[in-house]
Amino acid sequence: MGADVSDLTLVRRVQHGDKGAFDVLVLKYQHKLVKLVTRYVRNPAEAEDIAQEAFIKAYRALPQFRGDSAFYTWLYRIAINTAKNAVVSRDRSPVDYDLDRTSIDESYDMQGRLKDSETPEGLVLTDEIRQTVNAAIEQLPEDLRTAIVLRELEGLSYEQIAATMGCPVGTVRSRIFRAREAIDQRLREVFEGGLGRTEELQ
Amino acid sequence: MNEELDSQLSAMFDDELPGAECELLALRLSRDDALKARWSRYAVIGAVIRAERGVVLQSAVAGRVNAALTREPVLAGAAQTGRRGAAIWARLAGGVGVAAGVAAVSIFWLRLHASGTGQPVVATVASTAAPAGLHTAANSPDSFVVPPVSRLSTPAITVPPTQLADYVVAHSAYSWPITRGSLLSALMVSEPGTLSPSAVSEQRASGGHGNATHHTRQ
Repeated sequence: MGADVSDLTLVRRVQHGDKGAFDVLVLKYQHKLVKLVTRYVRNPAEAEDIAQEAFIKAYRALPQFRGDSAFYTWLYRIAINTAKNAVVSRDRSPVDYDLDRTSIDESYDMQGRLKDSETPEGLVLTDEIRQTVNAAIEQLPEDLRTAIVLRELEGLSYEQIAATMGCPVGTVRSRIFRAREAIDQRLREVFEGGLGRTEELQ
Repeated sequence: MNEELDSQLSAMFDDELPGAECELLALRLSRDDALKARWSRYAVIGAVIRAERGVVLQSAVAGRVNAALTREPVLAGAAQTGRRGAAIWARLAGGVGVAAGVAAVSIFWLRLHASGTGQPVVATVASTAAPAGLHTAANSPDSFVVPPVSRLSTPAITVPPTQLADYVVAHSAYSWPITRGSLLSALMVSEPGTLSPSAVSEQRASGGHGNATHHTRQ
């Protein structure tokens, strides 16, 4: 395990025409990719645009992906190149503020627009998600918390975590799953409540 | 939801699920929205633990990518590769078939002309017209006979065994070893210096060699 099997399985499905499998990859890596791109652009909206473009480029280039490297490594390179190109083209093109614009409509300028995720409601929801997850982690039993943190923060494999915690790999798998389930239960409430609240505000 | 399924999902998210289980779960995951939502929340949990500041946790990227992909064609890279492979095999098989067919016709033709008469094996190729500049003196050993244009409406070009053998060897890559062997054996049993039945009958009709025009092959 640990040889990028799950990503490669999904990639092969996309290559055989399953677009739904690409959604799964996007859901898995969107946060990482946006975080990566924010090294090059500070504006979160622009970072999301670049991440989106990188994903679409990756989808188009996927027939050429042979699995010689891990999927995320390949995606990482695409995102870095897309971000660099975006920075270069932004530096070359002058900022075009249309002073005669009388109304804010759908064609509102790229550099000035607010995305849903940047609206006050969106930012509040992000904070709420963060607080909820952190609170849920604090309430986890020690062995579950250690297992999930070693996995997500340190990026250790199940085998390495098993060696660190002195337990079988199967136990590590079970602990990580139970930790996620406990956090997810709290998170679901926020997502459902948060999304409902956003719709009310709109 | 099934606890075992969720446990598998968690392991797959960490790239720790065996390949066979991964295949089945990937198929289900790409079609099951509830499972996808759970997968997405697992990603959010990871992002929070890694304290990815500046990342909007209810990111719209996935939705926007999904919308953009509806305008993209469905990939069929591996399928195209498979079709390309099949085309190569079909072309190869076709080539082998043609080569085998040519070899079989050649053997049939050679056996037909060599059997019973003790005559040499000489191939005859139909020709519409021989260029005048290529007509040379008679009795040249490595030449093929071209009847006078005025006397025959479809003059024939005869290919001597040496050249035919060269041709067979040069094209041996395209024929089966057994047919190649038969063809070369047939050529070897032929005696040099004798003429084919058609040439003999032609000579009798013309009364000797004088009326035959010899044409050196270029």
